[in-house]
Amino acid sequence: MAVAEAFVPTVPRRGTARLTGASRALGRTTVADKIGLGLLAVLVLAAIFAPLIAPYNPITPSGLPFTSPLSGGHLMGTDEVGFDIFSRCLFGLRNSLISALVVVASGVVIGGTIGLVAGVVGGWVDTVLMRITDLFLALPGPVLAIAFVAALGPSGFHTLVAVAIVWWPFYARIMRGEIRALAARPHLEAARLAGAGGFRRAFRHLLPGAVPAIVITASLDVGNLVLTLAGLSFLGLGAPAPAPELGAMAARGLQYLLQEWWVPVMPALVVFLLTMASNLSGDGLNNATSGR
Amino acid sequence: MTRVAASDRSVDEQTPTPAPAADRSGAARVAPLVSVEDLHVSFIRGGRTVNALRGVDLEVQPGEILGLVGESGSGKSVLGLTLLGLLPDRPAPTVTGRAVVCGTDMVTAGAEGTRLVRKTSLGAIFQDPMTSLNPTMRIGAQVVEAAGSTTEAIRLLDAVGVPDPTRRLKSYPHELSGGLRQRVMIAMAVAGGPSLVIADEPTTALDVTVQAQILELLGTLRDELGTSFILVTHDLGVAAQVADRIAVLYGGRLAEVGPSAELFGAPRHPYSRGLLRSRLVLATDRSRPIRTLPGEPPDPRQHPPGCPFAPRCDHYAAECDAALPVLEETGPGHQAACLRLDQVTEGPVVVAEGTAPPWPPVAGIGRGNAPAVLVHGVHKRFPIGSGLKKKQLQALRGVDLALNEGEAVALVGESGCGKSTLLRSIAGLQPVDEGSIEFGKGARPQMVFQDAGASLTPWLTVGEQIGERLRSEGLSRRQRGERVTEALSLVGLPHEVASAKPAQLSGGQRQRVGLARATVVPPEVLLCDEPTSALDVSLAATVLNLIGRLRRELGVAILFVTHDLAAARMVGDRIAVMYLGRIVEIGDADGLCSSPVHPYTRALLDTVPEVGRVHVRLKGEPANPLDPPDGCPFHPRCTRAEASCATTPATLQPVDGSSVRLAACPVALAARTGADDTGADDTGADDAGDDHGGR
Repeated sequence: MAVAEAFVPTVPRRGTARLTGASRALGRTTVADKIGLGLLAVLVLAAIFAPLIAPYNPITPSGLPFTSPLSGGHLMGTDEVGFDIFSRCLFGLRNSLISALVVVASGVVIGGTIGLVAGVVGGWVDTVLMRITDLFLALPGPVLAIAFVAALGPSGFHTLVAVAIVWWPFYARIMRGEIRALAARPHLEAARLAGAGGFRRAFRHLLPGAVPAIVITASLDVGNLVLTLAGLSFLGLGAPAPAPELGAMAARGLQYLLQEWWVPVMPALVVFLLTMASNLSGDGLNNATSGR
Repeated sequence: MTRVAASDRSVDEQTPTPAPAADRSGAARVAPLVSVEDLHVSFIRGGRTVNALRGVDLEVQPGEILGLVGESGSGKSVLGLTLLGLLPDRPAPTVTGRAVVCGTDMVTAGAEGTRLVRKTSLGAIFQDPMTSLNPTMRIGAQVVEAAGSTTEAIRLLDAVGVPDPTRRLKSYPHELSGGLRQRVMIAMAVAGGPSLVIADEPTTALDVTVQAQILELLGTLRDELGTSFILVTHDLGVAAQVADRIAVLYGGRLAEVGPSAELFGAPRHPYSRGLLRSRLVLATDRSRPIRTLPGEPPDPRQHPPGCPFAPRCDHYAAECDAALPVLEETGPGHQAACLRLDQVTEGPVVVAEGTAPPWPPVAGIGRGNAPAVLVHGVHKRFPIGSGLKKKQLQALRGVDLALNEGEAVALVGESGCGKSTLLRSIAGLQPVDEGSIEFGKGARPQMVFQDAGASLTPWLTVGEQIGERLRSEGLSRRQRGERVTEALSLVGLPHEVASAKPAQLSGGQRQRVGLARATVVPPEVLLCDEPTSALDVSLAATVLNLIGRLRRELGVAILFVTHDLAAARMVGDRIAVMYLGRIVEIGDADGLCSSPVHPYTRALLDTVPEVGRVHVRLKGEPANPLDPPDGCPFHPRCTRAEASCATTPATLQPVDGSSVRLAACPVALAARTGADDTGADDTGADDAGDDHGGR
């Protein structure tokens, strides 16, 4: 005997479901979110194509020192050595973005792994890992990073390592929280009864559920990192001169602020734009995915 | 058709006039309190138009209780919210038609206009009082806010049956039991003497014995205050208990409206008839599958062109697709919307009737009754709190149970009785503190969960989750796929479901997927944790039939947990009634239901709804498992309690020397040997037992 019932499964075609999902998500963003996303897109393109866009080599003098902006073929003018500021800003932007993304990625990988292990295993493993995490969270991040760079010696790579070391605890916390919340859902008990082993439960039944929260956190974090890295570079803890770093450029140009204002202001402006675009886009992503 | 947004603030020259107090004074007024005309409500959700209401006409008279009955997606809650003027702003609904409440059209009145009506003339009760009450404020502050003064608040709390109201004013919501919280909500709803109270599933979250008390309270309040009530519910039985009239909603339209006794006794619309037929009562024929409504409730995003019920109707004809049927008079005050009323049988629905071929005998029972699960002296305690406030919640306090191969046993009891804890302990999801659980063949039991949606991993496909149980079998990918398809077809689902995610399925389909996963490798024992309580009435019967069929085809033993004795009787060969962590009565399903021994079993039997009758045998609420009473755990609520009950522990004793019927009530057993069974209807009103629900 069969259950003779005509079932019309409400199974929409895959493609259309995804498409309407995306348009719906876009519908939840605000005007500010869209501006942020647009600005970020322009900045990312500029960073990717910096070598093609830049009119001059950023580390060889290309004109007289202190040429004012929009004169002599220098969009943002030149600095005290005669470097083209626009070209240096483009490469600085590129460096900033890459560094921020590398640190965020390392935070997601290191913190995510620690959080996942703590959340899945629980018990004393959870306690030990989370106390270590708390320890790192309790130390002031930038100060710790300065200490690390000072110990390792100034270089762009060392700065990244130092920031990455202080950046992961944040992600460990979030990952563990998400995993603990998901682990309390009945679907995990059901998976256990279905005979799914520990690894399978962790990677198939838990991890995918924590991904959205991590992605949103990471996207909101990029702006923070741009600012933190620029700050360290401003303090002289980045790549040594003449490498095009926005923070260092602003720091070195500071003494000319009253006469040749464009020398420090132009790189600072780029940091400002990049941070703002990152934050607005992060909010936008948050808005688009919330309420799902 | 003009589009009028609900948020439209243009209040015409007619300022909303709150109903004067004279309206409620009982003077016979012919004008209805609520008058709904051609009401349409739709909103955009997920890029698609959801037509929640599609032309509803309805009236409520002063002092009347109207039962608004419908399954999920029928539009019953949307109608309730429209009358309250509380439709959500986002997504903005499109509302046309009129919904006049106490002289104000809630469709056009705007935010301030509807607020004034709510303030002066309306009250609302929602399903979960915990979410409607502010957890950070004392009960007193909240009730006084609605009532205006402390004296009035105490009077109201007393009127709704909150014991010791002066003391309760100082409590926070979490310190009260579910039943008491709902009483507090009702007190706030009737504060200020509203003309109409809209109650949206007010008893669904409550235990069956408490549900009866709350329904009785609504009836009393109507009689005393003259307040009208609209009782929104999915359960025709609940509505029939207290409502004067019932309106049945289906697919955003009224299918039938009529006086309760008539609609419940002799419904005219095929949907009402089908709904009544799939309701379980104690007289339902156990020997064959329950008669069900085929298919599922309509999707409010894509209604059929004509009669919304046409795809599921036995009396379907081509004309049903041509036009929307309108309500037609079928008797005094009784209307039904069906084009083929002349074809539909009249007269009462024989609830007990069954037309399906009877179930084949259960294969497993003959196998020498070897136990599949043997539970012996199981105790389970949960630590609560810490430090000085540390307490122990005693969930299981010595349970013995044997489940034989191929047998079905139903565990019945109210929330907190330990039935789910027992099931989870058997499933191996939590260790027990004392006692043992042994399995006949050592195989791991499988489980079907109450919330099928939550028991499926949202981001994995159905096929992947069912196939998970086959991973240890060493099958190829194709073989696995075939087994998944087989399992799906056994539960009546097409193979396409395998590639769907759980969110793309309806509630009924998800529960079938849960069953398919549990049976893809047939287990020795299948544990069911209230698998039908989250489903619509018409789907619940289908799932019960499916469990009955799987059990016979696969020869699995079933342990079925439920709070509903009628459902337990359909599934179980035997029924075990639990109270406060112990089995208080166990026996064959028919015997236990026809001649219950334990007073608690009798009380539970009384909660199975009947028309126009709220039979409240039990006062108070289930006792607190943090502090179980000495002696018989049931004695504080028991109508037959004697002095010895408070001190002597009650143990399971054979009833009439039987080996299958056991009951833990020395008083009832003694009375039984003295005189013969006194029947189930001896006590109507009683005063034993006060409210023990509060902590």
